[in-house]
Amino acid sequence: MIDLDRETLVKMIDHTELNAHSGEKKIANLCSEARSFGFYTVCINGAYTRYAKELLAGSGVLVCTVAGFPLGAGTSAAKAFEAGDAVRNGAAEVDMVINVGALRDKRHDLVRDDVRAVVEASRPALVKVILETCYLTDEEIITGCKLSVEAGAGFVKTSTGFGPFGAFPAHVRLMRQTVGPEIGVKAAGGIRNFKDAWRLIQAGASRLGLSSSVGVVEGLSLYKFAPTAWLEEEIPCHICPARFANLDKQPKAVYAYYKKKCLACPNVDKYNKFYE
Amino acid sequence: MNGWMGKIVRIDLGNLKRETVAVSDEMRRRYLGGRGLGVKLYSDLCSSATDPFDDDNALIFMTGPLTGTLMTSGRYQVVSRSPLTGTICDSSSGGQFGAALKGAGIDGLIIQGRAAGPVYLSVHDGEVDVRNASAFWGLDTQKTQKGIQAELSSKASVACIGPAGENRILFAAIMNDKDRAAGRGGLGAIMGGKNLKAIAASGSRPVAISDPEEYKALADRLERIVDKNPVTGKSLQVLGTSVLVNIINAHGMFPVENFRRGVFNDAEGTSGEKIAETLLQRQSACYKCPIGCGRTTRTRDKQGEGPEYETVWAFGAHLGISDLPAITEANYACNELGLDTITMGSTLGCAMELSETGAWKETLRWGESGKLLEWVTDTAYRRGIGAELALGSKRLAAKYGRPELAMQVKGLEIPAYDPRGAQGMALSYATSNRGGCHMRAYMIGPEILGHPVFLDRFSTAGKAELVALFQDVSAVVDSAVLCRFLQFAVGISTFTEMLRTVTGLDFSDEELMTIGRRIYTLERLFNNRAGFNRGDDTLPPRFFNEEFQTGPSRHRRVRLEEMLDDYYAVRGWDRNGAPRPETLAELGL
Repeated sequence: MIDLDRETLVKMIDHTELNAHSGEKKIANLCSEARSFGFYTVCINGAYTRYAKELLAGSGVLVCTVAGFPLGAGTSAAKAFEAGDAVRNGAAEVDMVINVGALRDKRHDLVRDDVRAVVEASRPALVKVILETCYLTDEEIITGCKLSVEAGAGFVKTSTGFGPFGAFPAHVRLMRQTVGPEIGVKAAGGIRNFKDAWRLIQAGASRLGLSSSVGVVEGLSLYKFAPTAWLEEEIPCHICPARFANLDKQPKAVYAYYKKKCLACPNVDKYNKFYE
Repeated sequence: MNGWMGKIVRIDLGNLKRETVAVSDEMRRRYLGGRGLGVKLYSDLCSSATDPFDDDNALIFMTGPLTGTLMTSGRYQVVSRSPLTGTICDSSSGGQFGAALKGAGIDGLIIQGRAAGPVYLSVHDGEVDVRNASAFWGLDTQKTQKGIQAELSSKASVACIGPAGENRILFAAIMNDKDRAAGRGGLGAIMGGKNLKAIAASGSRPVAISDPEEYKALADRLERIVDKNPVTGKSLQVLGTSVLVNIINAHGMFPVENFRRGVFNDAEGTSGEKIAETLLQRQSACYKCPIGCGRTTRTRDKQGEGPEYETVWAFGAHLGISDLPAITEANYACNELGLDTITMGSTLGCAMELSETGAWKETLRWGESGKLLEWVTDTAYRRGIGAELALGSKRLAAKYGRPELAMQVKGLEIPAYDPRGAQGMALSYATSNRGGCHMRAYMIGPEILGHPVFLDRFSTAGKAELVALFQDVSAVVDSAVLCRFLQFAVGISTFTEMLRTVTGLDFSDEELMTIGRRIYTLERLFNNRAGFNRGDDTLPPRFFNEEFQTGPSRHRRVRLEEMLDDYYAVRGWDRNGAPRPETLAELGL
């Protein structure tokens, strides 16, 4: 049985609009929905921070702005300036993208300093560090979490939503185990309905980045009338990142890592028919 | 009275007597309007012994408390007993007619008796006039609508029948606002049987709103939600319902040649994308609808509306036809003649297989697009082989000794989703109160599109509960009355909010779900009394015995028995599919 009420769910949601083609009208709509539903934040690009802050005045809904988004491959100074600028414009939270390449190169000091620069530039705002798990092995996810916490981040986050895949329960679980209960874990990317959201909450997510927020909340209202469909045991392969490994879109080492993991998984034989 | 106009008129076309039917506040709250209140009124007026073509049979046009208010609220519901299936039947149509009927000052119109000669009804300012329709009898639906508008007012919204309805074809549609159709179940034939050519409605009486300020805020919010939703805000707008052609085909469940294969090699050529590239003139929308899923199209020789997904399939893959202009013109012909495209196409597919097997000596060949128009037209006039096609697939296949070749449930032809590719859809078809219908519980949502929850389409687990839930929600939406496409963007809590804001009544999600269940159970009771039971909650044997050999849905069969008992248990029905006394008591039936 799902023990989650609507009020709790809406306060876990960063209502998100990060498309390059979205203009003021979309941001205004986003803010209006956030105000109506009482979402925790709206998550937007920096150009709209001040606008959103004005639209949300008095609503209790916070503004979350992204920095170094979506690649995370800029200089620390650039990211720090972007984050500080967002906070000055009214952002209460900053979602930054980790330097994924440096993390994969094991340049850990650079990664830690990069995060720290953003954390310091963002004070007093909360900083969430997007790991972009689709480009990482489990070991790299663990390292990314540890470095983020060491640098003062308040949250670690799975994905930008622009990579080959988004949030998976396996990754969220791993991140939660790594950072412990005091640090937030945000799941984002590919969360389309309430069942997707609930799986991630169960895996340890304390915040959800959603562009389908309304549908997710509506799903909760339907769930109570037909809980079996939402609680039906999942075919594990359907929610495994290994199944979504894509050689065209991922580093070949990461792709190979997932495929190797898949072959070693006992579920492969059991559920092989679903790969038809 | 907020939401409702407070007036339902009953007219006997035989003696022209009119009366206002008393409907208590309690009954409105228990059945809302539209389909729910229509079924309740029908059940009170007629029995299972009433033949659809009896003079006493009632044909009920209904609006709902949300008609003429918020977005997508121009629809109306027609309720009666289907001449095609013998079940209780409601058929829904978009356009403007629902809003016009309500603007004319009434919530609904109950029609009984048979006129001595062709008539049409004009509804205005709460009054119903009976007018001579001799000049329009024999005309197609387009000319009829224009003619009546010329006689009354260009602002009148007209719902009418074409030659098919006049000739009592068992799957005759009621057409309104040019090309919108209350298509399924053949209720247009009942109009023909009553010598009723059309109903025209006009007026601008406002619907009283309980909370105008909240109403405006809600309307604005709905606009944003629908615009943002990828289905209502993008796919349906840009590509229309035929966006589904490639999607369903990719899942190997796009029925080909009377459901013998699940992948159509020429699907791309009949897809929504291809329609947009080659035929589309503009998108069209119903009353207060921001979605605009309608397609105004043009072939080399003609212009009209459609085809929508089901029609693309019915005259396309189902018949092995990939000639998109021919499919489109067959659609235009059905609109003009007043025929249900799904049953028409499905019956042709059945006829082609009967012909191929030698059971029927007529020669109808797969892929033969050149004769489509002739077959459709002959059906509407019952001439040549059209007289046989006019039987519908069930009667046609039975007549030629191969009943298993009719792809129908309870006599209504199954539409464009092969149930072997989605077990929940199979249960939905089998248990639909009006027969093989995809709209009662659109399980394609969870089983293919992942909305509102993604389910394994080949599994039977959890499907019974969800089918029942969807059936109940659909009954609420059909009774409110709104477009079902809204369900892609919002859920039951928003429908509750809409009803509360308009009516001022303190509806809850739980109460609405009980209303939905009550309506569905009442329909079931009617069907039970008409002789339908567990044995009718089934599918053609093809789906249990034959498998596709290729495609993503290969080697699958429908496993209905794994779900049916669970479904009855969820519904509170016994093993024979009859509602238990305690269920009836709980629902106040």
